[in-house]
Amino acid sequence: MKKIRIIIYLCFFLISLSVHGLTQELPSNQECRHCHSNPNLKKVLTDGRVISEYVDFDLFYTSVHKKQACVYCHIDATNFPCKNLRKVNCQRCHYKGNLAGAPDLIKYKEYGESVHGRATALGDVKAPMCQDCHGSHYIFDKADTLSRTNKEHIPQTCGACHVNIYSVYKISVHGEALRSKHILAAPSCADCHGEHNIKEHIDPKSKVFLTQVSVTCARCHANMELIKKYDIPVEPVETYRESFHGVAIKFGAKTVANCSSCHEVHAIFKSDDPRSSIYVDNIPKTCGKCHPGASENFAKGKIHINPAKKEAGIIYYVSQFFKYLTLSVMLALIIYIILDLRKKLIVKRKGEE
Amino acid sequence: MFFSKKKKELEPKVSLDKLQGEIEQEIWDDLTKDLSLTPHLKEEIKKLVKERAREELQKELKDRYAELREEKVEIPPLEEKKKEEVMYPRLSLDIRIQHIILMVSTLILIITGLPIKFHELAWAKFFFSAIGGLQVSRILHRVGAAGLIGIALYHLLFLAFSREGREIFRELLPRPKDVKDLWITLNYLLGRKREKAKFGKFTYIEKFDYWAVYWGMVVMVLSGLILWFLGTALRIFPKFVADIAKEAHSDEALLATSAIIIWHFYNAHLNPEKFPMNRSWLTGRISEKEMEREHFLEWVEIQKQEEIVAEKADEGKVEEQKG
Repeated sequence: MKKIRIIIYLCFFLISLSVHGLTQELPSNQECRHCHSNPNLKKVLTDGRVISEYVDFDLFYTSVHKKQACVYCHIDATNFPCKNLRKVNCQRCHYKGNLAGAPDLIKYKEYGESVHGRATALGDVKAPMCQDCHGSHYIFDKADTLSRTNKEHIPQTCGACHVNIYSVYKISVHGEALRSKHILAAPSCADCHGEHNIKEHIDPKSKVFLTQVSVTCARCHANMELIKKYDIPVEPVETYRESFHGVAIKFGAKTVANCSSCHEVHAIFKSDDPRSSIYVDNIPKTCGKCHPGASENFAKGKIHINPAKKEAGIIYYVSQFFKYLTLSVMLALIIYIILDLRKKLIVKRKGEE
Repeated sequence: MFFSKKKKELEPKVSLDKLQGEIEQEIWDDLTKDLSLTPHLKEEIKKLVKERAREELQKELKDRYAELREEKVEIPPLEEKKKEEVMYPRLSLDIRIQHIILMVSTLILIITGLPIKFHELAWAKFFFSAIGGLQVSRILHRVGAAGLIGIALYHLLFLAFSREGREIFRELLPRPKDVKDLWITLNYLLGRKREKAKFGKFTYIEKFDYWAVYWGMVVMVLSGLILWFLGTALRIFPKFVADIAKEAHSDEALLATSAIIIWHFYNAHLNPEKFPMNRSWLTGRISEKEMEREHFLEWVEIQKQEEIVAEKADEGKVEEQKG
């Protein structure tokens, strides 16, 4: 009996030992917190950069991943001290049909074809992956103002890498409206460049490819609701498409102006702002980019002209003159022809009788 | 078969009915010359007369056919051979070549220009892809423009320095008679008057066509040059001048094209008298019939001169004989 007792004790011991061993292999969040709640925890990278390894656990517990354990993502963090961890792969949970219940709307395919995805695939370590835009520990729904992908925060998110562009964008009319005036209808980076499907501007599929610029701008600048609400100049896109610039670009001309050729790409300002490329004094320089030797004569007259409207000034009257001239002349000629044919028919009938 | 076919041609149904009507009328007139009849009686007599007329007509026809059968009358062919018409010179070779260059240039300009004006239509896209792009079309448009400007300058020199040109220009100048002619023609067309207008060398239609081209030419060439040499033009003029040029170029293009399609096509092609086309632009000549109908006064003038020439020739002969 003693032997049996010893064996049973031994079994309990072994079982408890193995259970203990299993739980030890997956450290709990509490264990990570021991070190990572220290704001001064830092790491020196091989290239000399110093990055913080501090995690704000209180903030993390309000994020969408609040119920996840650290080790679910940092799967290689099994030993202490956890050194040289690899970058987290979001696809471990976020794939179609996953059992963890993670959202599967992730646009990996669009991302893979985008300029960022391609660079990543080619081994560019600077190219952004999911966590570079969406954040790592503090991911929130994009409606949440804490989210990095919240509309108002997108410029900063992109600006983390695209510093020069961000510094220009934030003072532009679009950046001011979005960031200072909190007008959510104003475009962030993603509204013009796309989100996961960002392409280079020389890619014909890009939303900012030279033939696509007017389409992209038109989403807001030909939207009557927005135009009325924010007092944006009426019909710039329509008049552009009617102009020779618009017609030429439509039929494949490569060296013709699109919206951003004149209004600038990111440094877009109102026309009465001296910083604007279309401020009256800057027009010769702006037009001169394509029309060498453009003088101040280029600024004497409106640019976006709709000849059917009175605002077009003298163009309106020229257009009206020709409209009525054409109508009246054609009407008179057609009436004459009808009378002539009618008379010929009468004469012919009489002749037969 | 042969005969029966001829028979039908000789006595078409229309004339048979007409003939019967005439005979009926004759008999009726004879019967009712001095009578006053009641309506009922009138109807009855009318019926009788109708039957009688039919009988007589049949008899008459039978007799005639019998005659024809015996005599085997030769029936003249229905269509007489057209006599060789006298032709008058109308357009000199010089003018014909000018017209052809004008026509070709204008066609090129219309074909390459309209797709820009109506760029939203599907065929604009089709046209540009077919021709090899907007750039090719633009070059062709300028080739057309060069042709048009060239022929315009040549025409001005032609008017100024050639005898023919000066004479034609004098004839083409608008006169009060043109307004009068138009008024007469309108009255004629509306059936108010029976007389037609009599025209000299150029009708008001031709004059309108000619001067319309002048107006179009001035607008299109001036505005076109501004658009062609935009950089240079904007060194001299403010931008709104170029905008006016663009608007005018586009609008006048439509006016000119409509005028060609509606007015010129009607007068030179679709008009039943000209269909399928007035061949003068190729042959340079005009038939006597057309001359009489459309340029009566000129025709009379030519005939007078011919008579004078003939008389002079006769006098010359007489003198020779005397000599």
